Amino acid sequence: MTALKNKRQKREEYRAAIQQDDGATELPRKKFYRQRAHANPFSDHQLIYPPSPDHMDWSSLYPDYVVPEEDAPAEDQDASAKEDETYLADKLPRRLTQDIEVADIGCGFGGLLIALAPVMPQTLILGLEIRVSVTQYVQDRIKVLRQQNAASPLPQKPYSNIACLRANTMKFLPNFFSKAQLSKIFICFPDPHFKVRKHKQRIVSATLNSEYAYVLRPGGVVYTITDVPDLHEWMVGHFEKHLSFERLTTEEEDSDPCVAIMRTETEEGKKVERHSGAKYVACFRRKQELPYEGDVGDVKMLQ
Amino acid sequence: MALPYSVLKVCGDIVFAARGGDIYSFTTGLEYISAWRYPAKQANAPSGPSSEPAAASPAPAAAAAPASPASECPPAKRRRVEPEDESASAAQTAEPETTEAKNKKPQQQQKKKTGHQKHSVELPIIQGLYTTTDDRYVVAITGSDKTIWVFEHDGAGNLKQLSQRMMSKRPCSLAITPDNKTILSADKFGDVFALPLIYSEQQQQQQPKETEASSAASTPVSTPSTPQSFKPQANELTIHTKRNLKALANQKLGLKHAGSAKTVDPVFEHTLLLGHVSMLTAIAVASKGDARYYIITADRDEHIRVSRGMPQAHVIEGFCLGHDEFVSRLCIPASRPEVLISGGGDDELFVWDWAAGKLLAKTNLLSHVQKLLPAINKIAVIRILACRPRQEDGNGPTWVFAVCERIPALFAYGLLQDGTLQHCQTIPTPGNPLDVEFLESTSQLLLAMDPDVASSGEGSVASSSLRVLSWEPATAGWQLVDNESSRIKGLPAADDGDAVVLSAEDVQRALYTTESLRKTNSEPAE
Repeated sequence: MTALKNKRQKREEYRAAIQQDDGATELPRKKFYRQRAHANPFSDHQLIYPPSPDHMDWSSLYPDYVVPEEDAPAEDQDASAKEDETYLADKLPRRLTQDIEVADIGCGFGGLLIALAPVMPQTLILGLEIRVSVTQYVQDRIKVLRQQNAASPLPQKPYSNIACLRANTMKFLPNFFSKAQLSKIFICFPDPHFKVRKHKQRIVSATLNSEYAYVLRPGGVVYTITDVPDLHEWMVGHFEKHLSFERLTTEEEDSDPCVAIMRTETEEGKKVERHSGAKYVACFRRKQELPYEGDVGDVKMLQ
Repeated sequence: MALPYSVLKVCGDIVFAARGGDIYSFTTGLEYISAWRYPAKQANAPSGPSSEPAAASPAPAAAAAPASPASECPPAKRRRVEPEDESASAAQTAEPETTEAKNKKPQQQQKKKTGHQKHSVELPIIQGLYTTTDDRYVVAITGSDKTIWVFEHDGAGNLKQLSQRMMSKRPCSLAITPDNKTILSADKFGDVFALPLIYSEQQQQQQPKETEASSAASTPVSTPSTPQSFKPQANELTIHTKRNLKALANQKLGLKHAGSAKTVDPVFEHTLLLGHVSMLTAIAVASKGDARYYIITADRDEHIRVSRGMPQAHVIEGFCLGHDEFVSRLCIPASRPEVLISGGGDDELFVWDWAAGKLLAKTNLLSHVQKLLPAINKIAVIRILACRPRQEDGNGPTWVFAVCERIPALFAYGLLQDGTLQHCQTIPTPGNPLDVEFLESTSQLLLAMDPDVASSGEGSVASSSLRVLSWEPATAGWQLVDNESSRIKGLPAADDGDAVVLSAEDVQRALYTTESLRKTNSEPAE
């Protein structure tokens, strides 16, 4: 018991110190952020999420990309003229100069985010992770990386384009992203949920793929990688069966720099490497939206 | 206590009212026509599980209920028992609670186990009644046994049971596609399945029973390859810890126990259309007036999703986002098909342009509840009804009526052209309303409620639970009709009495289920 207590105490002290030390230049240490590898996506948790993408305040996550105050559209005035009782008058948070375009679902300790940041310096990348401590680690890590590079001469400071957020994407993806907002989604080494009973908890499923198709723009790509052959088959099966996706050819995969980064830079990818395990990659392109033709026979007016 | 009528459906000139597991039909003048009764014994239930022996020891609470139809229905699902029951059962099995801290842990584990193993017997209660647009078929869902019933309606109020299908998860709400051929069932697990409306059980019996034994997840869409036999998906390369490796070794040893999947999938035709990772609470079908239709689904996690109709139900058109609490009801007025009205655990009713995913208006309902009952601080909307009474000059206003759980009143609104809801009247009722329907032919409202019999002292629960409201031009408001014409007539004596006797608690639990959807913030942070 005492050992456990000491561990927790040390952890809290360490994290409190990191929080206070704004000028920290030393990267956070993973051992103070470990957390059980699984989280139940069906439970309510104590999540913070916006009611809709318009209500999401990104300013603290991407401070370098916030629309300056004076440029903000002056829509507040006519909104406040309306009556008190509508959400139409809700004050929306300040917007970013550009939308987030890349999401790493289940970003873990953030290896991919940090590797992608310099490759796509113009693009906003968001990591989503359900575990509290792990999210905290990535946030602290990004904070330190930004500080280390604060003196950079580049117009966009390194690592100012990445951020991490705690979220349950299985439930709340559409609360964060609007239709066709994203160009890339990464699903790297997801929880395999080996038991048949737990398959519903897998991050790829026929019904969830519809949500990925919703937030991706046509031509956008879902990247998946796993070291579990059965999960690979499961993901390939479900995406290929989904009418909104088509699989990338091996050549296309190989020529995509993101695939190489995903193979080598994710924390889990490195671990698999150490154990000399196999890695299975599959990427899927969001197809153009099918036209919705009224081929439903003779339809009377409803009700 | 007896059960009141709890679900209503008006079908032309016929009123269907469900009470417990039975469906009664009446004329619009509330004259009794006929009744369909929930089968007392289900020897040949289609999907097996009900033939399980009912030997499971009933929960203490259920045992208190006397021999009633409750004891004859199929065993209910396993559910976590409530804390009081839990401690009671723990007291039976283990020593008293005053044990030392050392003993506490194993005892708690034991408690958990007993909590899951217990079967409580539940009365099948009709949760929803639906009709096809041509009024030829009536569809019902019973909650506790997860069954969808289809009836043929002869147009005169008589129902003929065509089929009963037990779903693998409890259906929460149904919709019928505009072509009247398909039932869309939204379930507690978050999935929407399409089932053909007409289905013959002979066909199903011809199908080999072996398919039942196949994997639990073998819905047509959800599993690309149905695993026929169990095979561990992990291997020595994908897991690393000592413990996991040991577990894998054990799994490999125990291969012969494979195939004993507990949940049995329905054998009838059903297709997974779409799904949320959240309990679904309502489903509706909407159309902009052309041949296309859209499926609108609402869940406990505040979402309202608009998907295309079949066969493109995998395409999400948009979301109507803005609720802060669960959504429990959706309503698309027939006179304003471009508008969606939603309500749930929020203080307000929301009005949407569903095709654009745009909020048109929000109106505070709680404030009107508080004018009646100042102590109330949260509400759960259980019913939204929109109707347009016929007028000589054609287009009258669209009325919207809202019912909140355990609030003895009906809230009447007018739906304006821009989508705002204007509060017109709060109509107090002599009991908690459970459902409300509009009688087109007489331009009256029919109300099903849980009457406060104990205090009023008049009549039985059954006879006083259906009431009629009509528009009074003199007061320019809706009023309860209180004369002979507004009472149920001709109900057989056996039905009139309060035959189904349940404990007051069970009645409460059966009738008031919506508020429990609210999330509690008791969960500790990790």
